[in-house]
Order: sequence, then C-alpha cells, then structure tokens
Amino acid sequence: MAAITSSVPLADAPQTRRKFPFLLIALLLPMAIINFIAFVLPVVRLGMISFIESRSGGVLTNNYTLENYVSFFTDSFSFELVANSLTLGFGVTLITLCCAYPIALFLHRVSPKWRNMLFVITVSPLLVSSVVRTYGWMVILGDQGVVNGILMSSGIIDSPLRLTNNTLGVFIGMVEVLIPYMALSLIAGFGRLENVYEEAAASLGANRWTRFRRVILPLTAPGIALGCLLCFVLSISSFITPKLLGGGRVFLLATEIYDQAVIQLEWPTAAAISVIVLIIFGLALAVYSRVVKRFD
Amino acid sequence: MQTQELRQEPLAAETNPGDQAFLKLKGITKRYGADYMAVDDLDIDVPKGKLLGLLGPSGCGKTTTLRMIAGLLDITKGKITIDGDDISHKPPHKRDIGLVFQNYALFPHMTVAQNVAFGLEMRGVNRVEARDRVEEALEMVRLPGYGERKPKEMSGGQQQRVALARALVIRPRLLLLDEPLSNLDAKLRDDMRIEIREIQQRLQITTVFVTHDQVEALTMCDLVGVMHKGKLAQLGTPEDIYERPADLFVADFVGRTNVLGCEIEALDRVRIGASVYPCDTRGLTSGKAKAAIRPHRISLTPSRDRSLVSMATNAAHGKVTRVTYIGDVVQYDIDIGGNTLTTEVHTASAGHSFQSGEKLLCEWKPQDMQVFAQGSGS
Ligand SMILES: Nc1ncnc2c1ncn2[C@@H]1O[C@H](COP(=O)(O)OP(=O)(O)O)[C@@H](O)[C@H]1O
Ligand SMILES: [Mg+2]
Repeated sequence: MAAITSSVPLADAPQTRRKFPFLLIALLLPMAIINFIAFVLPVVRLGMISFIESRSGGVLTNNYTLENYVSFFTDSFSFELVANSLTLGFGVTLITLCCAYPIALFLHRVSPKWRNMLFVITVSPLLVSSVVRTYGWMVILGDQGVVNGILMSSGIIDSPLRLTNNTLGVFIGMVEVLIPYMALSLIAGFGRLENVYEEAAASLGANRWTRFRRVILPLTAPGIALGCLLCFVLSISSFITPKLLGGGRVFLLATEIYDQAVIQLEWPTAAAISVIVLIIFGLALAVYSRVVKRFD
Repeated sequence: MQTQELRQEPLAAETNPGDQAFLKLKGITKRYGADYMAVDDLDIDVPKGKLLGLLGPSGCGKTTTLRMIAGLLDITKGKITIDGDDISHKPPHKRDIGLVFQNYALFPHMTVAQNVAFGLEMRGVNRVEARDRVEEALEMVRLPGYGERKPKEMSGGQQQRVALARALVIRPRLLLLDEPLSNLDAKLRDDMRIEIREIQQRLQITTVFVTHDQVEALTMCDLVGVMHKGKLAQLGTPEDIYERPADLFVADFVGRTNVLGCEIEALDRVRIGASVYPCDTRGLTSGKAKAAIRPHRISLTPSRDRSLVSMATNAAHGKVTRVTYIGDVVQYDIDIGGNTLTTEVHTASAGHSFQSGEKLLCEWKPQDMQVFAQGSGS
C-alpha cells in the first residue's frame, strides 16, 4: 500500500502535480471517511474497552485498569488458546497452500480458452456462505455422515471415525473454506511467472525439480506470501467453522472472544483478547512485507 | 575446452563443408494439429564452428525449428545430431546447447551475475571458478562490473549481452539465437551484429541464428538457409543466396529485385513486352516465366541509339516515372514499355542525375537477369 501511494507524486510531471492532489483527495475522501468511521473509530474504541474495569456480570465501570491484560497473561489457559490458534493458523495455511498451489499453477498455464471457466469454478465456493459450507461438512464428516456411512457399510471400519467435533474436523473445514482465497491470491501474485524463464533454465541444464525450486518458486513468492498472509489472518479470526466443526471442544482465541463477548458479556476481556489478536496480525503483516521486499 | 582445439579447422571446413557436418538436421518436421506443417522435412548440415542463418518471413517456422533443436518442442519426425550424438529425444537440460531468446528471458529475481552463473551452478562448477568465469563472460560482452545489477536496471542492449554471456559461459556445443537483434534500435543493431559475429568467430562456436532480416543473414552468416512456409527454399553461402537464388521466392525475399513477366523464346532468350533479351533460361524452353533483375545491376545512360550498344548487353529504352532520393542511393522507377523497372544509382558514383520524365537507356548483363518458371517458390 505504502509503496503504491508514495510513487504517485513522483511519477507525475511537475505541471500536472498541482492539479492532481485535488482530484486525488476528492477520489480518496469517501473511502477515507468510510474507513475512519467503520474501522479506525471501532478499533480505537475496542482498545479503550480493553482497559475498562468490569464488575461481575459484565457491568462496565468508569475505571481504567490493566487487569484484563494481566489476567490474560497470568492464565495458563490463555497460552493454550494462543498455541491452538497459531497451530491452526500455520497448519491450515500450509495445507491450503499445498492444495491451492498446483491449482493456481495449472490455471496460470492453461490456454486462455479454458482459463476463465476454470477460474470461475475455482472461486465459485465463495458464492456459498462459509456457514452453509460448514454445515455441509458436518453432514459429510459426522458420525452418521457420508464418509463414515460408506466406510462402515462397506465393512472397512466397525465404528465411525471421529472426523468432527475435534481439531481434525476444524482443519478439514477451514482448508476447504480458504482454498478459493488462497488460489485467488496466488494467481494474483503469479504475474512475473512466464514459461520462457523455465525454458531458459532448462537450456542451461536445470532439471524439472531445480527449475521449480530456482525459478518457479521464487517468481511466485509474492503470490505465496499474499495467500499465506490472507489465509493466516482469516483462519485465526474465523470462529463459525471452528465452533461448528469443533463442537465446542476446540478452544481458540476467536472462539474465546465470541464466548466472552456474546455469552459471558465480558466485553473488556473480549476486547483485550481482540487487541492481542490484532498484534499477532500486525506481526504477520510485518513478516509479509519483509518477504515481499526480499523477493522483489 | 571444446572451443579451443577447433581453431585450425575452418579452412578445411570451407573447402569441404559436407564432410564435417557438426549439427545435422535430418528431415525434421513439426506438425500442429492434424495437418498444419509448421516445419516440413528440413535437411540442414552445419559444419563445426560455422554460423548458420535461418532466414525467412514471419511465421515460416524459424522459431519452431530452433525450439526443436533446443529440445523445447518435440519433433514430429526426423533426427537431430550434434557431433554424431543423437539428441532428437533428449530433454532440453541434457542437450548442452546455449540459447538466447528474442526477449532475453533473464531471470528477473536474480542479479546479472547470478543469471550468468546459473548454468555453471547446474554443472557443479565450484564457486571460485564460477565467479571468475562469470566475470570473464561479462568482460567478453563488454559489461564488466555489472554483475550486481538486476536485469530490469539495464537497457535492452545490455540485457541482450547478458543473455549472450549466460548462454556462452557454459561453453555449449551449440549456440542458438532467436532474432536476437529484433528488439534493438537500428544503430545498436549494427554494433551488436558485428559484436556477435566477432565473439562467434573467436570462440569458433557452431551457431544457428534466426532472423527475418536479410541484411543480418547476409552480413553475419557463413551459411544461410532461406525458409518459406516451413520448407527450406535454399541453403547456401550468402553469395549463393543473393547471386544465384534457387527460386522466385528467394530472389524476391533476399534483397530488392525487379520481377517481370516474360515469355521464353528459346533456351537463351526471353521476350519481355515487345523486346527480346538474351539470357540463360536454365533449361526452360517455352511458356510463361518470370525474369528477375536486381535494381543496382541496371546501369543508366542518357538515351542514345540502340545500335551503339554492345550486342553483349541487354538494353531497353525507358522513361523516368519517379525519382526517390534515399541518401546513399537514388532510386529511379523507369517505364520500359508497359513494365516498370526500379533501378538504383549510387549518389557518389552518379555521373548524371536524371529528372522525372527524362528518356534514358537501361542496360544490364544477360547473366544479371535470372529466369524462373512461373509459380516457382510461391
Ligand atoms: N503451438 C502452436 N500451435 C499451432 N500453430 C503454431 C504453434 N506455434 C506456432 N505455430 C504456427 O507455426 C508457424 C511457424 O511459427 P514460428 O516458428 O514461430 O514462425 P517464425 O518463423 O516467425 O519464428 C506459424 O504459422 C505459427 O502460427
Ligand atoms: Mg519467431
């Protein structure tokens, strides 16, 4: 973002520069206002709430305190939450990447005749809400679900495999939900990948694997970084799929925020955890910009 | 190392080109779809250390041929050997061929030095030696000290040189160049032409050079293969191609030429319009044909009596219809009774300049007029 906006004034000829800021401001203003009202203000408010002292039952007082953070960092359960969330975030991102990368590479190379149609098919799951898709997975993976039904009736197993209400179920659901996002980001970041580079590498003596490692992978790194950032953030912040497929037995930062805010009505605690999640996202973004700069 | 021991060979190869074929293309064919022949039954032998130019209009199958040699395209039929080694079905990374692409194809994520070192790394050359060889290669293309730049920080001509260095540093058995100069501006193109030829001769590396530019083909190459619609129209030295074109297509494509409809009178003369001209019809004895004369082989003199002209030359009276000043030459379009002849006179040597509408006499030697059967090479 920063790189794009800062390059605009440099690219302009001196005479047009005077006219430009007006147009630029006029065009950016609506977005800036919406962003301010819908994003900046709520985040500031969230930060403030996280420092408010609450009495039992979720009643907010007018006192500010560090208590919400202190109790988070002194509770061993919190660390379990962070560990679970990070495991889910990294794990789901990695599996999603492995599933989506071949798809994206294929879409990048396929003849233009087919590309549009296949592209639409790849992202079509986004047309169905992830809640609905998660219920679909419950039907497929449940104890009386399709998978277990087939396996049991064919005599391969005697008792149903536990595919839902645990971390495995959450992983399966999350990966499926995120694949379209990953595929989209990858394709968006594949701009520099051209067949001719692989051919050049081949003519210089690189075999298939070396071509992949030394040419394809570095040239697609921007797409990989973008996709991983997006999926990491989305998997850590999602709570519906973990809640439904985890059956209340998978404890994550996101589900905890939901419980604290909606069930316990402990808004300050929920806000404090939210701020911690935001910090994790900030770190992820920092890593992302490093990676992108490195491979530019 | 293969390159050094060849220095004394070119002479032998010149006298006896067929024997020393280093690169042999035997009947190579590329078919797309059911029956579209992009390259049709090509037979070419290139002696060791020679530069072969593949010349032809866009779409005639030059790139396809080059890519088949490099192994980037499967051949439909035929056989390719380098120094007796059949490489027809080897994967590209095992062919040991240096390739320079039309748009350079430098790896954008690597520095210039990393680009040039890539092939050495693939061959397991150790770091110290690789660094020396990279620097040596960059010096050879006159880019010493540019190693740390990224390709996008260099001009087109510089990228071209890096691509050349990258292909040559591995000391390949064969160098392939696909229209390497077509993306450069005219001045740079002239310089690079000389430079590439110099490097090629210094290393004595067998090279195939694809181009649609006849000047490049004629000035740089030891051998020129003119391609037309996937077929080899003619293979020969630049002089062969220019002076003794095999068919009308070659005559017309290589250099400027006047093509006139004519009627064969006998083995040694043709009729153009109302006049009969002696020439060699190359075996044709009757029927319609085409006669080709190069513009600069026609000399112009002020009109005078036909009887004063030697019987050994062909002559036609004409009238100047257009004068085009090009700089080094002046072009006169001359109407000789129904047909228009384009002629060129060097401005330096011109004894007389003509005006539009002026009457004059065009003369040319019988051997400068070539006769082709109707429809040859179309
Ligand atoms: N993948 C392909 N499928 C079908 N036709 C092709 C393909 N690649 C090239 N051709 C056709 O083959 C012919 C030769 O192409 P090419 O070798 O690139 O010509 P050029 O002499 O300009 O390099 C062209 O008519 C082109 O349209
Ligand atoms: Mg081409």
